[in-house]
Amino acid sequence: MAHATSIQYEPVAEIGGGAYGTVYKARDTESGQFVALKSVRVQTDQNGLPISTVREVALLKRLEQFDHPNVVRLMDVCATKRSDQETKVTLVFEHVDQDLKTYLERAPAPGLSPDRIKDLMRQLLCGLAFLHSNRVMHRDLKPENILVTSQGQVKLADFGLARIYSCHMALTPVVVTLWYRPPEVLLQTSYATPVDIWSTGCIFAEMFRRKPLFCGDSEVDQLGKILEVIGLPPEDEWPTDVTLSRKNFPSFMPRPIAEFVSEINEQGAQLLMNMLTFDPLKRISALNALEHPYFRDEETLTQTKR
Amino acid sequence: MARTGVSDSKPLLDLHKKADDRRAPLRTWANACGPIDRWQPVEVDEPKMAPVKMEPEPPERRWERRLSAQTSDGIIMGFHEDGQTHSDDVVDKCVEERVLLHPRGLQSLHSLQALVPSLLRREVELALETLGLVWDRAFAWDMFLVMMRTQTWYSFPSADLPRHFTDATRAVLVDWLIKVHEMMHFQEETLYLAIHLINRSLRQIKVSTANLQLLGMVCLFLAAKKEECLLPEVSGLCYLMDHTYTRHQLLRMERKVLCGLKFDLSYCPPLHFLVILTSVARCSVKVVWMARYLLELSLLEGQCVVFLPAQLAGAALCLSRQVLQEPPTPEGEAAWCLASSIHVGSETALLRIMHILAKAAAKAHTRETCATFIKFSSPETMNVSRHPGLKNASALLGVCT
Repeated sequence: MAHATSIQYEPVAEIGGGAYGTVYKARDTESGQFVALKSVRVQTDQNGLPISTVREVALLKRLEQFDHPNVVRLMDVCATKRSDQETKVTLVFEHVDQDLKTYLERAPAPGLSPDRIKDLMRQLLCGLAFLHSNRVMHRDLKPENILVTSQGQVKLADFGLARIYSCHMALTPVVVTLWYRPPEVLLQTSYATPVDIWSTGCIFAEMFRRKPLFCGDSEVDQLGKILEVIGLPPEDEWPTDVTLSRKNFPSFMPRPIAEFVSEINEQGAQLLMNMLTFDPLKRISALNALEHPYFRDEETLTQTKR
Repeated sequence: MARTGVSDSKPLLDLHKKADDRRAPLRTWANACGPIDRWQPVEVDEPKMAPVKMEPEPPERRWERRLSAQTSDGIIMGFHEDGQTHSDDVVDKCVEERVLLHPRGLQSLHSLQALVPSLLRREVELALETLGLVWDRAFAWDMFLVMMRTQTWYSFPSADLPRHFTDATRAVLVDWLIKVHEMMHFQEETLYLAIHLINRSLRQIKVSTANLQLLGMVCLFLAAKKEECLLPEVSGLCYLMDHTYTRHQLLRMERKVLCGLKFDLSYCPPLHFLVILTSVARCSVKVVWMARYLLELSLLEGQCVVFLPAQLAGAALCLSRQVLQEPPTPEGEAAWCLASSIHVGSETALLRIMHILAKAAAKAHTRETCATFIKFSSPETMNVSRHPGLKNASALLGVCT
C-alpha cells in the first residue's frame, strides 16, 4: 500500500511545516492534478489503529460525500505501517495554491472591497455552518488554513484534524499561534463550536485591517489585548475554576470596534461584536450569523450560497 | 472485553469443509443476549390523531397503491393534488365519499393535506429521538431526509461477486459472523455495518478465498471500532479463528481494508429505517421482532445488496405484517397509513425483496446457515423464526406465484 501511494503521488515541494508535521505538495500521477499530502503518525498498539483515528477519519470521509463547496476535498486516505508501534496515516487533499493570508497580502493598496469581504465571509460561514451541523469543530481556524481559489472560492482546510493529531501533538511541542484563540481556550475551560466563531471574528476584522486584530505573545498577553478592546466582562461571565483570575486584568471599558476596524459598516461592526463576545454561550452561531442583516443585500450573492 | 476464556463455544468457520461437516456448534451460545429494549415500539401517551377513517383493507394492497403516488419530494407521498393524477383512485374515492357524507368533511380534507406531512414529521422526530439517533430534536427531520437521500450510496449496482466467490460462500461467512457478533454482545448496527463493509471490500480489494474469514473478522472489528464502546482484543479474535491467522496478518488486513475503503465507514443500516417505520406505524412487538428477523435474513442473501436500506426495511415490515395477519384496529390502520406515506421504494422492488425473504424464511430451519433462525427462535424474540406462517413461501406471497 505504501508503495502504491508513493507511486501515485509524486512529491513536488514541501509546503509549510504545519503545526502537526510536514505538508507536501505532490502530483497525482494518474490525473496530473496537484494534491496536498498530510501525514499523521499514530501510535498503534496490539489492537491496530486507535478507535479515535478510525472514527475521525471516517467522519471526514463522510463529510466528503456531501461535496460542500466551501470545504476542501479529501481525495484519498491511506494507512501505512512504519513499525509495530506506529502507523502513518496519509490524508490526500485537493491542493489550492493560495490561502487567505497570501490573498490579503496580495490585495492591491486600499485592500479588499467591502463587497468582496462580505462574499468571503459568507462563504467562510457557510463552510463553518456545514461543519458545525455535522458536529465537527475546526479548533484552529486562521488565515493560513482558509484557502481561496483563483475563482475567489473559499475552502476551509485542516478542520477536524486536531483530534486526529492530538496523540501526536503530545509528543511534539508545537508553537501554535494564539492570535485567533478565544478567551475560553486561553483560560483553558471547556470549549465547543463557538471557538471557531471567535476565530472567524478575528479573521473578519483582519480582512479590513490587513493585519491581525489581537497579536499577543503569551496567553495572558493575548487575553489582555482582547479585553482592552471588548472590555472586561462582568464577574459572573468569568469562568470559575480557572487559574487566571479576573483580578489580573484592569477594568477595561469596551471600546467602539470602529477604532480598530475602520471602513466596516454599522451592521458589519454589529456582527463582528456578536462574534467577539466573551461568553461562548452568548456568541452568535454560524447559522445565525448567516442570517444577520449584514448579509441581507442580495447583490453580492454568489453561487456558493447554500 | 477479552473473550479468550470462551472455550468450546467458539463458532467455527470452515469454508472448505464438506457440507455435512459444516454444521455449526450453535446451541451453546445462541440466544445468549435477549432482545434489546430500545428497539421496542415507541409508546406515546397522547391519543393518536386518525386523519381518515377508512375501511380496513389488506395492508399489502394499500402499501402497493401508495407507492404509485409520490410527491415531487419523493419522500413523502400522497395527500397532495399531484398525487391524484396518479392511480390513487381508491383512496381519493374513499375520501370523497366521506366528504359527501359529512359536510364538514371538506374542511377536514384540506386540513388533512396540510396535516399529514406535519403528523408524519412529528412521528419521525419522536421515533428518532426515542431511539437516541439524534442529539437534538430540531435536527431530527433534516436528519431523516438526509438518511432517505443518502441511502443510495449504500446499495450496489450489481449483486455479482468476484469470480472465485459464490453467494453460498458469502452466506457461510455472514452466518459465522452473525454468531461471532452475538457472542460479543455487540449492537445490531455493528452487524449491519460489518456486512456492508464486507460487501464493499469484496468488490474493492483483492482477497483470496483463504483470507475470506480474515476479511470478515476485520470488517466486524472495524465496525466495532466505529460503533462499540468496548472492543475485543485482537488476540481474542485470532483465537476465534482457531489461530488460522496471526495478529500481524489481522492488523495488515485492517490497514488493507481501511485503505481499500479509503476509511469510509459510513452507513445507514436498514435497521434504522425499520425502527422508524415500525415506530410510526405503531407496530406490535411481535410484528417488530418478525420484521427484524426477516431483515437479518436479508444479510445472508447476496442478491439483496442491490436494494436500498429503506426498501429492505419496508419489505421486511410488509412481509412481517402479512405473515402475522394481526387483526386490524382503526388506530393501527391510521398509523399504518401514515407510515405508508413514507416512500420507501417501488412496488416491484418491494415485492422482489419480499419474495426473496419469504423464500429464505421458509427454508431457514433446514439451511446450514441458520444462526439467524436460531437467534430469533428464542422466547425473548417471541419465537418469530418458528412461526408456522413462514413455512409456506408461495402461499405467503400469492401475488408472486
